[in-house]
Amino acid sequence: MTGTASDARLITPTMLGAWLVLATVPLWISTIGLYPYIGVEILIWSIYALAFNLLLGTSGLPSFGHGAFFGIGAYAFGLTQFNVAANLWVALAGAMLAGALAGLLVGLFIAHRRGIYFALLTIAFGQIFWTISVKWHSVTGGEDGLLNIVRLPVNLGIASFDITDNERLYYFVLAAFAVVVVLMWRLVNSPYGRILSAIRQSEVRTAHLGYNVWAYKLSAIVISAAFSGLAGGLFAMAQRSAFPDVMNLAQSGLVVMMTLVGGGLVSFWGPVIGVIVFLIARDVIGAMTTGWMLYFGTMFVLLVLFRPEGIAGGFKLLVERWKARGTAPEALSSEPRSG
Amino acid sequence: MALVEAEGVHVRFGDRVVLEEINLSVNEGELHGIMGPNGAGKTTFFNTLTGRVKPNRGRIRLDGADVAGLEPHAIARKGVARSFQIMTLFNDFTAQENVMVALPAFRARGFDMLRAVAGDSGLADEANEVLASVGLGAKSAISAKLLSYGERRALEIAVALAQRPRVLCLDEPTSGLGTDGTLRLAELIRSLKGKLTIVAVEHDMRFLFSLADRISVIHWGQVVARGTPRELQENPWVKRSNLGSFE
Amino acid sequence: MFDLLPHLLNGLVLGLLLALIALGFMLIIGLMEQINLAHGSLFALGAYFALMLTGPKPPLPPDAAAFWLQIPLGWRYALALVIAPCLAGIVGIAVEVCMRRTYGKDPLYGLLLTFGVALVLEELIRLTWGTRDHVLPVPSGMSGAFIFQDLIWSTYRFYAAGMAAIVIGLVWLLIEKTPYGAMIKAGAHDSEMVRALGVNLSKLRLGVFVLGTMLAAFAGIIVAPIWGIRPHMGVDAVVPAFLIIVLGGVGSFWGAVIASLLVGLAVGVSGAYASEWSLLSMYLLLVAIVSFRARGLFGKKSMLEV
Repeated sequence: MTGTASDARLITPTMLGAWLVLATVPLWISTIGLYPYIGVEILIWSIYALAFNLLLGTSGLPSFGHGAFFGIGAYAFGLTQFNVAANLWVALAGAMLAGALAGLLVGLFIAHRRGIYFALLTIAFGQIFWTISVKWHSVTGGEDGLLNIVRLPVNLGIASFDITDNERLYYFVLAAFAVVVVLMWRLVNSPYGRILSAIRQSEVRTAHLGYNVWAYKLSAIVISAAFSGLAGGLFAMAQRSAFPDVMNLAQSGLVVMMTLVGGGLVSFWGPVIGVIVFLIARDVIGAMTTGWMLYFGTMFVLLVLFRPEGIAGGFKLLVERWKARGTAPEALSSEPRSG
Repeated sequence: MALVEAEGVHVRFGDRVVLEEINLSVNEGELHGIMGPNGAGKTTFFNTLTGRVKPNRGRIRLDGADVAGLEPHAIARKGVARSFQIMTLFNDFTAQENVMVALPAFRARGFDMLRAVAGDSGLADEANEVLASVGLGAKSAISAKLLSYGERRALEIAVALAQRPRVLCLDEPTSGLGTDGTLRLAELIRSLKGKLTIVAVEHDMRFLFSLADRISVIHWGQVVARGTPRELQENPWVKRSNLGSFE
Repeated sequence: MFDLLPHLLNGLVLGLLLALIALGFMLIIGLMEQINLAHGSLFALGAYFALMLTGPKPPLPPDAAAFWLQIPLGWRYALALVIAPCLAGIVGIAVEVCMRRTYGKDPLYGLLLTFGVALVLEELIRLTWGTRDHVLPVPSGMSGAFIFQDLIWSTYRFYAAGMAAIVIGLVWLLIEKTPYGAMIKAGAHDSEMVRALGVNLSKLRLGVFVLGTMLAAFAGIIVAPIWGIRPHMGVDAVVPAFLIIVLGGVGSFWGAVIASLLVGLAVGVSGAYASEWSLLSMYLLLVAIVSFRARGLFGKKSMLEV
């Protein structure tokens, strides 16, 4: 978290590299046996995981009910499209707004909590929203889901692009992903982001420094929920439908898993890495065996036990070791302790 | 002029009375020591003063305004900074970042979500100045968790100083420090004397007697003796209770 | 009022069953301050093991299987009540051994670990027994129904509630009347005292974890004929269990029991008016109570709050 020059930049070399690689994905993805739609899924889940990690990784708030915000965004996208205006921007704004409002509602109840109690209450709220989505047939379609959601054209005023085709949809979602990455990068490196990080490290101290910890946590929950809602909206569009199952406990747990596996606790890109690994593993291992969750679950257990900092954490460690070779391991330890 | 005044402060946890009735006043610019045996309520009083614990009764006035029962952040904003006995530094931050988030200028930009911290050299310079004032000038880029114990103690104080407080509350500043470290800390605190009001809870008698302008002794949840170090040494209560043997 | 009686009774039965499900969860969270999200999977395992023992195809060599099937169902069921929890207990040992690495760390790690374990166990169940629903055979004396006050009552529900009440009583005796109970109670906050009592803390933790697992498995067997056996049944059980612990307060036995009954009654009574929404009532109850009482009804201060 040391402030470096790249933190101050709007767009970092890593971002450019990632976008460039991602932009070429439709060109070669079929040749390695995968299909373009997985790219869409990866980008959408990456947005979701980045939003989620604003709470877990940056602020240290373990949300186990984040699927609620994702699902609410998905329904809101469909409902806005059906009832308000069949315009992509309006529908996406609707998804974000619905996510934010749900985040505000939940946040009012849980923003003064932390740790396990926070996690438990998010589970409860996740279940509440999930139950509502299953039972409120007239609005959500219940277990049958909200169907016939349309991939609306991208209207840029001067021109309008059709994105019904998966490849075109991919590039639209990539653009959305790029915007979210820039915004999140700004956010975590801004004073606001630093204070969230301070809250993660010591809530008590942050309060004694004069920060209204509750307001910061509440706002972080709202922002995270809004972007999760956006991801949900994109997901509904990609799937052409919205279902309750994205809101259930297991699905909410998945985003936690992906973020941790990737190394969201130590790295900005951790959640994205986790999503890529998870979804590709799902498709590759899933094609070979039906019990892929068994392997992934086992891997996750081992990771929590031995490498809780995740893939990005392990990578960082390797880089540090590589950089540190030759130099004295710890410059400070040579100094006598004053205690 | 009394800057901080505690009047009849009473704190109970459940049915356990921790502070019976604390009456205490701290003058502007003085270094006021608080001592007493373990479990006497020193730390609870400190927590009450800084908003962590809400008193069941009584007032705490800061410059005449009652602050008892306000949230910690509200009290901090009125110019009360504190250090912690059990250190709660931001371990993942560098020394500089630890100090930076404490600066009022940083706090004013707290909800700024769009401009990068790293791009603002003004904040960094100000933080480095504070670090230099406690002798950590060369350590600004070191992660807090990698600092030595003594350096961490100094950083504790730097963070509190960075808040530009009117009242600096030090909770057991020498705890865990060796003789050498304590001497250096005494030097640092002496250099702050007169510039701001300091309230220090401290075990180390010699440390406190050599630095404090006035001392209050808390025992059984009350102030049982008060005065200048010289007066206290003559105080029959202090003599009788053999204060010197408090650790 | 009288119309409500069946709903109240149903609620009470549900409450007792929920308490039975939550017991093991409570012991583990009380002693180790760890949330065992795998509790539900162990609950499911209990039901599946019992199914294996009472069903038509026990996993035994042909001769032994034939011998086993000769035993009347009633006896097999009774034996399953003992053997299945023991089998689950062995799985519990493995889980506890993994969990050791997370003791003393942020409780979040324990939660994540057991979440992973739950995924693995659920998948194992799917691979072993398939995804379809199963029915646990019960002795004919307990199945069936009787008519009382012009209403049809299921015999099994009363048997299940009775079993739940007995086990709750036994666990209470264990905690309050035996030296083990004192150790369990002291363990969470006072590992010094546990050592002073001459107990090996890691053995105590293992013992309690296994006991918690066995209680979960036992609950699974008891509840299975009512809820049905399917891979997902674990999640259906663990969510109410944790909810009850939060509601009742961490570390409080009677808190958990009372919270279970409250939840059972809330679901039962709301079922009378809006059966579609009755499950929601328990979450709303939780939010309502925990908003006002941070530690739940009877909770003590615990490490989990930090």
